[in-house]
Amino acid sequence: MVKALKINKDSEQAVIYLLKLLLEDNRIKGVLTLKKINKKGDVAYTLITRPDELDDAVPFYPLMPINAGKLLSRFTLKGKTREPIIAVVKPCELRGFIELVKRNQGNLENLFFISSTCGGVYPIKMAVDGVVKNNLSRYWDAVKKNENAADLRPACKGCEEFIPYTADMTVDLIGKNDLDKQCVILLNTKNGEQLVRNIKLGEFIEGELDKEKLDKLRVKREREKKKIFDEINAKINGIDGLIDIFGRCIGCHGCMRVCPICYCKLCEFESPDSEYTPSNYELELKKRGGLRVPPGILYYQLGRLTHVSISCVGCGSCEDVCPVNIPLTSIFKKVGESVQELFNYIPGRNLEEDIPLITFEKEEFAEIEE
Amino acid sequence: MSKNEEKKLRKKAAILSAKNGIRMGIIDFLKKSMERNIFDAVLIPMRVPADDSFTYVLIRDKNLLKNAFPLPPVMSIQGGKAVSSITRLGKSNIKIAAVMRPCEIRATIELTKLGQTNLENITLIGIDCPGVLPLSDFLNNPEEGMRLFDDAVSRWDDRIMRPVCQMCDKSSMIVGDLHIGFLDAEKDSFFIISNSQKGSDVIDKLNITPQADISSWQTKVEKISEKKHKKREETFRELKSKIDGLDNLLDTFSQCISCHNCMKVCPVCYCRLCYFDSDKVKHPPEDYLERAKTLGSIRFLPDTLLFQIGRMIHMSLSCVSCGSCEDACPMSIPVAQIFSMVADETQSMFNYVSGRNLEEPLPLTTYKEDELHEMEDTHG
Amino acid sequence: MEKDKEDFMPKILAFLCNWCSYAGADLAGTSRIKYPPSVLPIRVMCSSRVDPLFVIKAYLSGADGVLIAGCHPGDCHYEKGNYYARRRFVMLKKIIEEIGLEPERLRLSWISASEGNRYAKTVTEFTEKIKKIGENSTKNRIFL
Repeated sequence: MVKALKINKDSEQAVIYLLKLLLEDNRIKGVLTLKKINKKGDVAYTLITRPDELDDAVPFYPLMPINAGKLLSRFTLKGKTREPIIAVVKPCELRGFIELVKRNQGNLENLFFISSTCGGVYPIKMAVDGVVKNNLSRYWDAVKKNENAADLRPACKGCEEFIPYTADMTVDLIGKNDLDKQCVILLNTKNGEQLVRNIKLGEFIEGELDKEKLDKLRVKREREKKKIFDEINAKINGIDGLIDIFGRCIGCHGCMRVCPICYCKLCEFESPDSEYTPSNYELELKKRGGLRVPPGILYYQLGRLTHVSISCVGCGSCEDVCPVNIPLTSIFKKVGESVQELFNYIPGRNLEEDIPLITFEKEEFAEIEE
Repeated sequence: MSKNEEKKLRKKAAILSAKNGIRMGIIDFLKKSMERNIFDAVLIPMRVPADDSFTYVLIRDKNLLKNAFPLPPVMSIQGGKAVSSITRLGKSNIKIAAVMRPCEIRATIELTKLGQTNLENITLIGIDCPGVLPLSDFLNNPEEGMRLFDDAVSRWDDRIMRPVCQMCDKSSMIVGDLHIGFLDAEKDSFFIISNSQKGSDVIDKLNITPQADISSWQTKVEKISEKKHKKREETFRELKSKIDGLDNLLDTFSQCISCHNCMKVCPVCYCRLCYFDSDKVKHPPEDYLERAKTLGSIRFLPDTLLFQIGRMIHMSLSCVSCGSCEDACPMSIPVAQIFSMVADETQSMFNYVSGRNLEEPLPLTTYKEDELHEMEDTHG
Repeated sequence: MEKDKEDFMPKILAFLCNWCSYAGADLAGTSRIKYPPSVLPIRVMCSSRVDPLFVIKAYLSGADGVLIAGCHPGDCHYEKGNYYARRRFVMLKKIIEEIGLEPERLRLSWISASEGNRYAKTVTEFTEKIKKIGENSTKNRIFL
């Protein structure tokens, strides 16, 4: 049980109202959240400093145009923010940011987080032509019923990490029939409590996550995940299976660019290290009789797996941006989870946990040596 | 080379047999060329093993040629990028024939001017292009896509092709060393037209007599080019009104997520570290907050339009309207059409056509002392 | 077919750390201990120098096996290198397994400078194992 703020409004409106009050009262200087940015209703992340600009904010909109963890990293890359900012983010975005902070790619000071138990998001391609807008009521119906909405991204359908770990405030949306009438904001941290002390909004109660409902959804999600992983496993068999799955990759590296964990200014696979000289080509031609151009598609994919799998948060951005619809998240998530399991590691669970590859125990994994 | 010599060379065309179809005819020509050591390797698209896409392959073993596809239904990799991938770091030590569409050859020529490709030992072979399908359309159902494409090609009907392809008036432009012309050729045959000394040498080495009369092909090409040019102007007129004014422009790009796929697949965007990925666009939090405060809110990350217009400024003079950008955009923004429109205008200001020939310098690397006075402010 | 398999001499890329396993390999040589000619040795200063990308590159280039050999835990010349190498290798092997490739082609062994016999034994065992698995088919793939 933690202290919570109960507001008798629609959950999204309640959060907006709270953020407005916090801005008006100068308790925070800015808000990072999803907002409608034009008459068409297109939604994008926005940095908001004036309370009335929050009027068309949509903090829990089922879309993730870009992993907000990456945005927060860009915001604090050149230094910590000196003014308090609240970011309304999804659990995987927060975890992504924590993983980036561990890598010195962001600064947590003066940043506070509101998150929610997450019902998932739609593929970004669905945002074209307003399809997401038309599905909104169906989406919230599914969330209220503790189900996966139809057409959710595969990454979300099979996501078991839909409860935020390190948020200062959490809104439990999953399975809440009354989420359009009432909003309970759990104050998980001292900072969370401090931000809303004496606020003229709602009433303070004791609250907690509805573990039963959440467990029910987790079971559904686990089943979906198993289905997705089984599908991938059926396709994966040896080098030819991989050549088939990644065959249509065009080397655009969009997956790398949108991945929250990929922060390298110059990616290894775009650097001179990975470039072929004419003699490299000629050598390969002698060996193989032919070589795809540009080469190194599998090297890029497998190589990126070795770089990010330890911290992959399964956010699904890679699959969303892929122009040729390779089931990237399913693959990276599958491999990522098994690698993380080796070390009992959940990326972004907390800041204190070291990334497993920069630490060790003197006695461990004795069986790996032959 | 003088205009006359050029004209003479251009008319040097041979007829090759296509008993088993154009594709097999081209493959046969390439095979023979390899057998006679005219080429050591061929760069040409092939179907990927899963049969759901195509990619360029540098083929050394001529037995692989039977699976080559000179005109694939999609442009998954821009040919200019493929050639640059092989020879950016130095010249090729083996003789390579690169079989590509005209816009890909033009991109290769632009990249050579930009120092990103070395054409020594490379023979560029162009081909009449019917256009390509939108990548996502093809991927939805590759088998159906292939069938529809083949059918459309047989009638030279471009209605299912990408928007930029439908308005491409350079689809049979002769820019390489050789050009394969099969529009209106006699049944079961096609032309191989030389456009350079390199090209003529190939025809000579094959012992084919280059005495073909390509005037009917030229007439047909002109007709099609005219029709497409009209379509181009029409499309640009509509497009211009659609993006006219800042609000419309912002609306057009409102869903851009700054993934930079367009930049990455663009053949002429060759910078290893793009300006718009560099430190130049990374600012401390105070800067972003100040900007937010002046307006009450800013999109985060800001400067989506700056990237688009900035990229336009950087590459417009070399844009070959290949359309790779539009294929790669996950948000279906008509980038290729917009960039093509702007490119046409900027290039025409300098009477420049990107990739038209190797000798023509990039417009911004040269100048005339007496030019463009109409752009100057003449007050006072 | 059987004859082909028997005649197949695997190409095993071995990353040997300068202070322990490379010296151990040297000792095997000077002691004239017999072992199959399957290894292409690459000397690195420490087993932790081995970037997983080297292994991926080797695998995709057609190496039939990749061996990483370092000092026994606790004996690393740089104190901790082999601990990190061990973790990295555990992760790499798991990735190769999960992606459907053959983790048996990768091996990690601790071999000290005085263990010439152990080096020879490791190489002999590994070579036998690889012979049974067969040649790495990535050698001739075009669409990598």
